[in-house]
Amino acid sequence: MLSQYLFILLFTAMALVVPVMAIMMGHLLGPRHPDPVKNAVYESGMETIGDTWVQFRAQYYLIALIFVVFDVEAVFLFPIALAYKDVNALGAGAAIFFILLLLVGLLYDWRKGALEWQ
Amino acid sequence: MNALGLLLPELILLVGALLVFLLDVAYDTDRESGASYGLVSGLFLVVAFLAAFFQMSLEPQQAFMMDIDAFAAFIKMTVFAGMALVALAGGRYMNRRTYNQGEFWTFFLIVSLAMSILAGANNLVLIYITIELLSITSYMLAAFFRDELRSAEAGMKYFLYGSVASAVMLYGLSFIYGAVGSLDLREVAGFFVQPDLTEELRVAMIPATLLALAGFAFKASLAPFYQWAPDTYEGSPTPVTTYLSTASKAAAFAVMARFFVVGLSALDVEWVPILAGLSILTMTMGNLAALRQNNVKRLLAYSSVAHAGYILMGLVAVAANAASGMDGLNGVLLYLFAYLFTNVGAFVSLMAVEETTGSVEMEAFQGLIHRAPWLAGMFTLFLLSLAGIPATGGFLGKFFVFGAAVQHQYYWLVAIALVNAGIAAFYYLRIIRTMYFGSQEDAGSRLELPLGMQATLLICTLATLWIGLYPPQVLDWVNTASQQILTAVLF
Amino acid sequence: MPTLPVPTFTQVVFVLIAAFTVISGLGVVVARNLFHSALLLAATFFGVAGLYVMLEAEFLAVTQILIYVGAVATLITFAIMLTRGAMHGETNPLNRQWGKAALFAFLFLVGLLGYLGGIPWPAPFQAIQADEGLIARLGEQLVTRYMVSLEVMGLLLMVALVGAILLARDDKP
Repeated sequence: MLSQYLFILLFTAMALVVPVMAIMMGHLLGPRHPDPVKNAVYESGMETIGDTWVQFRAQYYLIALIFVVFDVEAVFLFPIALAYKDVNALGAGAAIFFILLLLVGLLYDWRKGALEWQ
Repeated sequence: MNALGLLLPELILLVGALLVFLLDVAYDTDRESGASYGLVSGLFLVVAFLAAFFQMSLEPQQAFMMDIDAFAAFIKMTVFAGMALVALAGGRYMNRRTYNQGEFWTFFLIVSLAMSILAGANNLVLIYITIELLSITSYMLAAFFRDELRSAEAGMKYFLYGSVASAVMLYGLSFIYGAVGSLDLREVAGFFVQPDLTEELRVAMIPATLLALAGFAFKASLAPFYQWAPDTYEGSPTPVTTYLSTASKAAAFAVMARFFVVGLSALDVEWVPILAGLSILTMTMGNLAALRQNNVKRLLAYSSVAHAGYILMGLVAVAANAASGMDGLNGVLLYLFAYLFTNVGAFVSLMAVEETTGSVEMEAFQGLIHRAPWLAGMFTLFLLSLAGIPATGGFLGKFFVFGAAVQHQYYWLVAIALVNAGIAAFYYLRIIRTMYFGSQEDAGSRLELPLGMQATLLICTLATLWIGLYPPQVLDWVNTASQQILTAVLF
Repeated sequence: MPTLPVPTFTQVVFVLIAAFTVISGLGVVVARNLFHSALLLAATFFGVAGLYVMLEAEFLAVTQILIYVGAVATLITFAIMLTRGAMHGETNPLNRQWGKAALFAFLFLVGLLGYLGGIPWPAPFQAIQADEGLIARLGEQLVTRYMVSLEVMGLLLMVALVGAILLARDDKP
């Protein structure tokens, strides 16, 4: 039962091991001549000013909210799409109406300018 | 396609909601179109009411996990009547205070649609999703004046309580599904009447029922899940408060009735004491808190909590074959119907005073009789009906609910309810005294009411008197409705 | 000396995933920085998806990752990054109630274990055969028996789309 997920497990293990190996190799094999300029955060750039934690714009949040809604919609559409050849006209109509409802919602957001970047 | 025809009231409201929404999307927001949206919404509600009225006379049947029976149809009639009255009275109030009129009326119709589905839903998934639709739309309506602190607070509190309550409810429903293996209420009922049902499983359903009850109790503002109610009722736009305390409550009781009486009928030994306890707690807490209020909107909010406690008595005292015609369930329906007109009337009276004086404190009602004799008179009638004075609709509702409890020999429950009714009469009479005996100097100028409010007040007055003085027609409806549920129950 | 039962491969995997889920869930509560809590919450969602896979509910697992890890965790992260001052120092400190809260959570756990363990849950009525038709059957049910539920769901999402913009937009119309 779990054997079909063995590939995912192997893939995960490889994805972890290879980068760690690469960094370790560089650490072990590479020559080391430290000096202050080389140890700076940006070796050939400017030091950063202020905090690196900047406040996000509220607009991102609105976009994320809209994204969540369509994410949920997508989840419902997968099984319906798989069953599409077996459903009757009423069922197909229901699926289409479901999509239309969200489309109208999107139209509203567009119309009210929620999709425009201010 | 025949099955779709059975969903006629819902389809009407769906079309109405989408129509208003598309009109709002198509035309610009700044246009003053709120009045026409309100008119369209009212028309669709009236047509849906007629469709529900037609469904009263249908044979009980099912379509898409919804029961189409007289019980559902009666609840739908109650809900649609309430929503139409709120639209008539509160439309102007909302349209004057918000720019988002299209959104308001769309949400308003979607809320009506959700309550209509709830009236008939007999599947746990449908019940859960529809409660979510009703709740989430209501959160937004409560917070509709988002730039006003009170309204935002109302929506926020409602949302926080509501999301926790619905999560807890879902957890409880999942246990029931785990035990039964079905989400259909009739199959749940069939499972629990099995003779070889183990005692452990029976007992195990008590926590599950309690968890599920949390969600229903939240919607019906029963103790101990009522704390959101006063703040939300006070802060929300008054039309929203009106429907939250009447129509929304009716839908919640419809779901509870179906869940307990149909789904868990075989477990009544377990849930009847729980509901009886909640009933006592709710009416006592609501009345004691209402006693101390000086803000009339808040007072009515607490009184609405207390009324939920009385209504719950009817569910406690449900009996399949009652000798005197009081089977508990018809008491619930009658109470909800009478309470709807009375409470809508009371809130519209409040809205009228709020519109003209800008305040809902007790002082604003001083000497109302001199400023608006008709309004004061009608408000008095609504308060008397809320107190349960004979010849009003409120009396008949209380009579049937109390009568059913007496029949079951729950004398202690009736005794506590009577004491509570006495306490309630005290604070209702306090408002009446303020209106009549307030000094004339503070009275100020006469109140001019908009036509919509006048019409609503008149309809509510007539309905309250009609139910109180000449109830045969209403009794016929509620008896048909309750009998259709109870004859199908596997007691 | 009784011999210890040798755990099967499945059991080992389960314990690993469950431990991952519980530890990251605990981390959400005890992390002092709210942002770390959010990241750990995403990890918890991942762990739950793993448990769904163990239960052979692959569709649920994919849904969990798509919605909870992909969308909800992102939303929570955004919400925290939007909040001024929520990123610095101890933004998620213990308050005076933590002792009581921990006690209640523990009692709830004990009660729940007793409840769930002590009940003779009936066996499922019919075994579900795990083939590809399962999700298609779910889809078919969605547009036939559960049609009204699906449309209510659609309305709910539409209301959410409208309401989110209505309440969260920062400019006045």
